[in-house]
Amino acid sequence: MVEPIQYIGRKTIGTCSAFAEMLVFSGQVMTRALQRKTYNSATKMVLINQIYFTSVQILPLFLFISVIFGSLLVGSVFQAIKNLGLTEYLGKILMGSVVTELSPFVTVLLITLRSSSAINTEIAVMKVNKELKTLEAFQIDIINYLFVPRILNGILSVVLLSALCSITVLISGFLFLNLFFGVSPDVYASDLLNSAVFSDILIMLMKCVTFGFFITLIPIRQGLRASDELTSIPVSVLNGMVNVFIAIVIIEVLSLIIRFI
Amino acid sequence: MFQALEALPQECPQPLGVVSIDIPLISNLNVWMNIALIRQYHENQPAPQAADMVKQLLKRFSMESIFNLRNPQLCEEERFCAMLLRALMVPRSVLVVERPFEILNSHGDSRFLHQALNTVNDLFTKCYIFDYTWQKNKYGLFDGS
Repeated sequence: MVEPIQYIGRKTIGTCSAFAEMLVFSGQVMTRALQRKTYNSATKMVLINQIYFTSVQILPLFLFISVIFGSLLVGSVFQAIKNLGLTEYLGKILMGSVVTELSPFVTVLLITLRSSSAINTEIAVMKVNKELKTLEAFQIDIINYLFVPRILNGILSVVLLSALCSITVLISGFLFLNLFFGVSPDVYASDLLNSAVFSDILIMLMKCVTFGFFITLIPIRQGLRASDELTSIPVSVLNGMVNVFIAIVIIEVLSLIIRFI
Repeated sequence: MFQALEALPQECPQPLGVVSIDIPLISNLNVWMNIALIRQYHENQPAPQAADMVKQLLKRFSMESIFNLRNPQLCEEERFCAMLLRALMVPRSVLVVERPFEILNSHGDSRFLHQALNTVNDLFTKCYIFDYTWQKNKYGLFDGS
């Protein structure tokens, strides 16, 4: 009887202390990101490379998915609401679900699968290969050089790619509606603009920034927890991806709660 | 050997530029980025200028071909020279070469090591080489000498 309670207690304490460590680490990183001296030729090069690998390399696939997904989604939504006689709500549905919810979620899933796993593996491999010690030996601060550019890149990539996804979905959706349902561009555009609510857009932006921050911070943190053995790398990546997924769900739920308060 | 290495920072107040198997090249950076990193980070040297500087330094060793290669693609001599040039990027530093034959595994003597150091002898004022006592034959040192 006592052992299960002890187990639950240990797990709870472990989870809370891990969460507290994460918050402290987040604070350290954010402080450094706001300091001017963090940015030099080396960190700028890392940031540019990270933006290229995260946002630019993925563009063809990302745009293809957005176009296909957008056309079919908007088309099927319009068909459904047309059958219900609710076509005047098209703008609200598109702004409320596609722009503020679906685009950030699809974007963050794609970036997590691609970039977060890569960052987690990279940091874990650097730890195992003693490359972090190399940076320390040459007095290169690993937070400034390794972590800040990656986290900034995560934030920028999620925000910009979410915006791009929203625009692509709406445009491809309009082309689909124009072709198959004869919807005029004026009606479509005015419907969307009338349905745009500033607070929803702001919440969407904050959500993207939060997503971008945690889908890079958590893999970095998990990568640092790798031990000196090669076998700790897959364990680190596994834990990192599970924690990122949990963070995505928590952020999504919190944003929905804030939106509908 | 390790006691002497640990005592070095007290004896030498200048920063140390270390060449050691325990301070490897960064595997996701090219050779030129590994070498240029120190100046780019500490002195904010722009990337094109840093790249030119590294090209000139690699020319001294006739190793321009390794400019864009990564650590696993290098042979042991190329790796040693890259690590040596990286250590020399620490400004006003004392060069420390620690267990060079852990990097230059196939070398039976210190000829390559001394040739490499002579090639860049204008870039450092002092150099310490630390190694195991049983390696002293490779340096031309024998018992009684």
